[in-house]
Amino acid sequence: MEIKTINKIKKIVLYAVAILVAILFIYPLYILLLVSFSPTTVTLDKLLPSQLPVKLTLNNFISALTQYNFVGPLFKSLEVAFMVGAITLAIAIPAAYGLSKLNRRTGNLIMVFLFIANLVPALIIAIPISVEFIKAGMFDSPLALALAQSLFTLPLATFILLGSFRTIPKDLENQARVDGMGLFRTIYTMLVPMAKAGVAAAFLLSWLTSWDEFTFAVILSPLKPTLPVIVYINITEGSLIQAAAFAAVVSIPVIILTIVLQKYIRGIYLTGGITG
Amino acid sequence: MTQKKIKLELKGITKFFGKKAVIDHLDLKVYEGELFAILGPSGTGKSTLLKIIVGIEEPDSGSVFLDGKDITNLPPNKRNIAMVFQSFALYPNMDVYRNIAFPLKIARFNKADIDKKVRSAAKLLGISEVLSSSVSKISGGQKQRVALARALVRDPSMFLLDEPFSNLDARVRFTAREELKRLQKKLNSTFIYVTHDQRETSNITSRVGVLNDGKFQQIDSFDNLYNFPQNKWVGDFIGNFPMSFIKKSDSISWGFRPEWASIHRGNLSAKLVTNELAGDINYWLCETKEGSMIVLRGNKPREVGSKISFKLNKYNIYKNGVFLKQGR
Repeated sequence: MEIKTINKIKKIVLYAVAILVAILFIYPLYILLLVSFSPTTVTLDKLLPSQLPVKLTLNNFISALTQYNFVGPLFKSLEVAFMVGAITLAIAIPAAYGLSKLNRRTGNLIMVFLFIANLVPALIIAIPISVEFIKAGMFDSPLALALAQSLFTLPLATFILLGSFRTIPKDLENQARVDGMGLFRTIYTMLVPMAKAGVAAAFLLSWLTSWDEFTFAVILSPLKPTLPVIVYINITEGSLIQAAAFAAVVSIPVIILTIVLQKYIRGIYLTGGITG
Repeated sequence: MTQKKIKLELKGITKFFGKKAVIDHLDLKVYEGELFAILGPSGTGKSTLLKIIVGIEEPDSGSVFLDGKDITNLPPNKRNIAMVFQSFALYPNMDVYRNIAFPLKIARFNKADIDKKVRSAAKLLGISEVLSSSVSKISGGQKQRVALARALVRDPSMFLLDEPFSNLDARVRFTAREELKRLQKKLNSTFIYVTHDQRETSNITSRVGVLNDGKFQQIDSFDNLYNFPQNKWVGDFIGNFPMSFIKKSDSISWGFRPEWASIHRGNLSAKLVTNELAGDINYWLCETKEGSMIVLRGNKPREVGSKISFKLNKYNIYKNGVFLKQGR
């Protein structure tokens, strides 16, 4: 009886905290959407704007999309994000496979070293890299930006894939080799499909990282910018409404992707197999 | 006797795990059409040895010869040796049929040939009715048959089996052994299998290699392993009880099995420590004057601490722990 009430209280507290945290994350997003869908008369021009939608309009989007070059940055963002996903998988899959072959301790140690790139502030890496890309004539090229962004997605992707590869029984791989498959064929037609959840998680996180990425984008690609850079340019130029509209456009695919592919981004694929 | 053809030969195989040599300059010859067992306690590198033969592990030194050809540097897919892993390693994303068909698909057989081969292998192993089942829905015994079918469809030049009976229920195990022997006879192919349980070798193999400390301590028929163990370690390891040893001098000792001694006012004696009943036979675990433990056989338990006199009808003479000759 008593334990039952305690459990109930525990549950209530837990839900209260969860809801609070959720509000903390969702509220700014709500305001962003509210501002981008409301006419300026009820938002910017008011001293105390309403927290609830009073009037809705698509004008902000229309003016943002017509007055600014929207299609260019959208395609650039998409292009770079898919490139980052592809480059990351192309490098992280063999890297994770190699690490999974080492004994756990050595593999984990090397994995920690790989994360060093993520520990350093992006600017410190971005500036020398930009210099090199300018020298190589790749300034403003999507490939250059994708390569630079991959620096940050690679460690996490490798970590996720390492975890997925480790969960595949070694005997299955050995069996595929004995049954006549070569090493590369074994990796790509046997292991990768078996680790498909991890592969999907690695691709999506890389894609999203690139989609949101700002530092490299603004340094390496300021002339033909990506969407986050456009948002930034709008804010600095003072057109806050357009900035909000762009920000909404940037966030919507992220939200949709995250919800649709939630099952792949669940914890187990992100532990790198260390707790498993 | 005709000269038998050597199927597989290992020469000076050494494999290190860290600084420890799990396999240490090991030599082995296995003949065509043989059912050969590798027997040893766990952790002695038995599975590693199979993996070296099939090509998954590389030896640090030494060579592997198949049909007289050096295959040491060939990858597993170029060796045409089939292996059945202890876990059976069935592909979880395929049904039984596709599991068996897999090696044929890799080898690019056409669909009709694959179908014919899969069905005849399934028939041979009695798993025709589960061909369309998922591999997670079949019993342990059926899983093993699927793994065997998958191994034999592509007509490999030899078979390796890692602890083939350890994942089976105790009840199925006995018949599985007989079936393996029958299958091997029918295919008339060379089989090597690994086990830590000597009961799984005694009645079905032609020869048994006893592996310990990275080397074969003795390669012989099971009867010879039991009756003429080449050293004290083999004597200890083979048999329901370790071989009993009586020290005769600094370098010479006598070894014997319980049934080689008779309990009739003999010239030797020992003190009873424990009675051990095994079915209808009683064993006496005794201690000799020099303090070594020996095992004798009698028809009923006796009082602990009583003195038992016995004589040896035959015994093995060991010099510095190595078999010298048999005496009477």
